[in-house]
Amino acid sequence: MAHKKNRNVGIIGIGQTKHSSHREDVNQPELIHEAVSLALKDAKLTMKDIDCVVHGNMELFEMVHSPDLWHVLGTGAYGKECIRITTGGTVGATISCASDNLVASGMYDIVMAIGFEKLQEGHTTGGITNMACPLWFRKIQAGALTGSSAYDVEREFGVERADKASLTYRIIMDKHAGLNPNAHRAFGLEFSQIDDLIRTSPKLVGNLKLIEMCSQSDGACCVIFACEKKAKEIAKTPVWIRDHITVHKEENFNIFGYDRKFPVLKTHKFAAENLFKRNGITDPINYFDVFEMYDPASWWAIDWIRDFFGLKGDEHLKLIEDKEIMIGGKMPINPSGGVIGSNPIGATALIRVAEAAMQVRGNAGPHQIPTPVNHALASGFGGTMWTVMTMLEKELNW
Amino acid sequence: MAEYWGIKVEDIFNTMQERFRPEGAKDVDAVFGYDIKDEGKWKLTVKNNEMKIDKTSDLAGCIATMEADGETFVGVNTGKVDATNAFMSGKVKVEGDMGAFGKTGKLFRKYVIAQKEMTVKDYLADMFATVVSRFKAKEAEGLEASFAFDLGGQEGGKWTVFIKDKVCTVTTTIEGKPTVTLEFNDAKDYVDFILGKIDAQSILAAGKASAKGDINMMASKWPILFEKYKDPMGGNIPEQELIVLKKTISVNQKFSTGPIMGKFLKGLKDKKIYANKCPQCGRLQLPPREVCAECRVRAADFVEVGPKGEVRYMDLVYYAMPDPLTGVARETPYGGINILFDGCKGNETLPHFIRKDQIEKIQMGWNEKKGTRVRPVWEENRTGDIWDIKYFEIDE
Repeated sequence: MAHKKNRNVGIIGIGQTKHSSHREDVNQPELIHEAVSLALKDAKLTMKDIDCVVHGNMELFEMVHSPDLWHVLGTGAYGKECIRITTGGTVGATISCASDNLVASGMYDIVMAIGFEKLQEGHTTGGITNMACPLWFRKIQAGALTGSSAYDVEREFGVERADKASLTYRIIMDKHAGLNPNAHRAFGLEFSQIDDLIRTSPKLVGNLKLIEMCSQSDGACCVIFACEKKAKEIAKTPVWIRDHITVHKEENFNIFGYDRKFPVLKTHKFAAENLFKRNGITDPINYFDVFEMYDPASWWAIDWIRDFFGLKGDEHLKLIEDKEIMIGGKMPINPSGGVIGSNPIGATALIRVAEAAMQVRGNAGPHQIPTPVNHALASGFGGTMWTVMTMLEKELNW
Repeated sequence: MAEYWGIKVEDIFNTMQERFRPEGAKDVDAVFGYDIKDEGKWKLTVKNNEMKIDKTSDLAGCIATMEADGETFVGVNTGKVDATNAFMSGKVKVEGDMGAFGKTGKLFRKYVIAQKEMTVKDYLADMFATVVSRFKAKEAEGLEASFAFDLGGQEGGKWTVFIKDKVCTVTTTIEGKPTVTLEFNDAKDYVDFILGKIDAQSILAAGKASAKGDINMMASKWPILFEKYKDPMGGNIPEQELIVLKKTISVNQKFSTGPIMGKFLKGLKDKKIYANKCPQCGRLQLPPREVCAECRVRAADFVEVGPKGEVRYMDLVYYAMPDPLTGVARETPYGGINILFDGCKGNETLPHFIRKDQIEKIQMGWNEKKGTRVRPVWEENRTGDIWDIKYFEIDE
C-alpha cells in the first residue's frame, strides 16, 4: 500500500532561478525572492494565498544560523506559518515530502516549498566536513569526494568500458544542460572528446575526474503544493504526487569491506524496491517516462541507474552506451542536465521534483521530452547514503 | 597572427617579463610549455626567482605543457573567458605535472587590456555614426524633422539628422532651415552632456550652449526617437558598486564523548583499538557506538581488535581539500585507507591515513585477494584522540 493520504496533493506552481556561480548582484533573500515570485506567477497566486512556507537548505553552509529568519524578506513568510527543514543533500526532496504531507493531512490547503543555496558565500567542503561526527571522523574526512564508485564500476566492467560509460553519461548531461536555460554549466561537450577528457581531465580522488563532478552553484527553487480541490480550481495541469519514500542509514560509512559474504545495503535500491512494490509497479523502466536523478558525479550516476530500476548485469551501462537516457531515448534521465549541470545543494533535490513535474506538464521548455510524460520519478541523495524518491503522475487514476 | 579582443597571442608572451612576480616564483624551478594551436610553441623557464620565455619548436623537457587555441588562451589570460570552465570542458589542457603547472598562476600579474583613450573627436564620430542604428522607426510615424548640431571648438563639427518616412539619415553639414538647432561653444561639453557627466541645465545657464527653433522637439522627442548612447569605454561599469563582505569564522568548540566513544579514545591513549559488539547480531562497530543501528539495542561489550590489519579500500586524493580543523589545504596526494583489523570481518573497517611515501605500494583486498598489511604508528604523547595514531604504515 502506498502512503495513506487524507486527500490528494498536486503541484500547481514552479519557479527557479538561473543557477550560476556569479550571483554577487543579489543577497540571499533577493535570490530566494526570484524563485518565489516566479512560482507565484506560474500559479497565478499571491503570497496571500499561501498558508504555510517550508524553507530548506544545507545546515550552516553559508554559516548563517536560522537562515529562515533573514530570508523571510525573500520567502514572504512574514506573518505566516513557516517551517525550516534541513536534512543534508536530500533537503530539497524532504521539503517536497513535508509539503505533500502538510497538505495531505488537511492542515493546510496551499503550501510553498523553498530550497535554496548560495554556495559561493559559504564553504561547501568545510560545511560537509562539519557534518561528520565531531568526536573522531571530522578529523579524517574532507568533503564529499570519493573515488569508490569509479573503483566499483571499474572492478566489475573493466577500466576502459567503465571510463567510457562515465564520460558518455557526462556528455549526455552536458548536452541536456545546453538545452536548459537555467543550467549552471553547459560546456558544449561532444562525444568525440571522450578519449581526450579521460586522458586530460584532472583527477580529484582515485579515478573521479574534475569533469565528472558536479558544480557548486548559487540558486533557488520554489514549488507550490495544493490540495486536490484547490489544485483543480487553480491549475490547468496540476501534477499529482502519488507517493514518496525516505530511507536513511547509520552515520558511518560501513561500506568498504569488499567481502561478498557481507553485502552492503544500498539505500537507493532498498528505497526503489519498496516504493515500487507498494505501488504495484513491476516494470519501472517501462512504467516511468522520465527520471530526474540526483547525480553528484557521473560515476555515481551510472552505478545508481541499476539500483533505481532494479536492472541486471550490464543493462544500465547499455542504456548509457546506446544513449537511451537522452531526451528522445527509451528512459530519459535528467533532461535538465542534472546535478552535474547545476548544484545549489539545498535546492538541488527540489529541482529534481520541479523538473520532473515540468516534464509531466509538458512545458519544460527547450529540454521538454517530445513524447507524452505521464509518469515521472525524482530522487534525492545525501548524508551517508540517504535516499528520498518521489513519484509524480499526470492523471489521478492509480 | 589573429587578434582576439584586439590582442595577439604573442602580446601575452611578450609582456610576461614585465608582468613577472618574483615573489610568486619562490620555490619554483621548472620549465613549462605552451602549445597554442596554429600560433606556435613557447617555453617558460623559471629559476632563482627569474624567468625566461622563448618561442620554440621543441617542448621536450617541460614539466607540464598547456594546450589551447589562440582565442581561449588570450581569453583566459585577459579574463574574457572563464578559466575554470575552459579547463573543465577541455578547451585548455595540461599535459604532464598538473600540480606543478598550477604554480604558474602565481607567477604573473594579470594582462590588462590597454584602454585606448577616446578623444572628443572619437566620441563625436562614434555618436553620429551610431545615430541610425539607435533610431527607433516605429516612434517616427508621420514625423518629418531635422535636428542640427553645431558644435564648436577645435574638435567640433556640424551634423544634421533628418527624419522622414520613418527613415533616418545623417549629414555632416547644416543646410536650409532645420526644425531645431543645438549649438555648443565647445564640442567637449556636448560629449560630456551625452555621457551624463554634466547636465543640460547648467550648460544652458552658463551660456555655453543654446537651442534654436522647436526646442521641445529636441528636449522631448529626441530621447524617444533614439536609444541612449552607450559609452564604448564604460560598458562594463555597473551603476552601483556591489560590495561583497568577507568574513572568517574561528571558534573554539568542545564535545563530550560519553562512555562508549570515550572508551575507544581512552584505548588509543593506551595504544589499544577497541570495537564494541552488538549483543543481538554480533557485528562489531568501529569506532564503537552506543547502539547497533540495525538492531536498535545497546551495545556495551568491548573487544580489542588489531592493531594490525589489511587495507580493503584506499581513496587516493589528488584534490587539495582543506583540513576542517585548520582550513589549510592538505598536502596532496594523500591516501585515505579503510583498514580491516585482525579480529574484524565484513564491513567493520576503520578509516585512517597511510604513510605518504607508501601510497603507491598499497593493494586493496577482497575475498580472493589479501590487501596490504598495515600497522599503526603511534604518537609519543597521546591525548585520547583519533590522531594518537599518526598514520598507518606497511607491516612487512
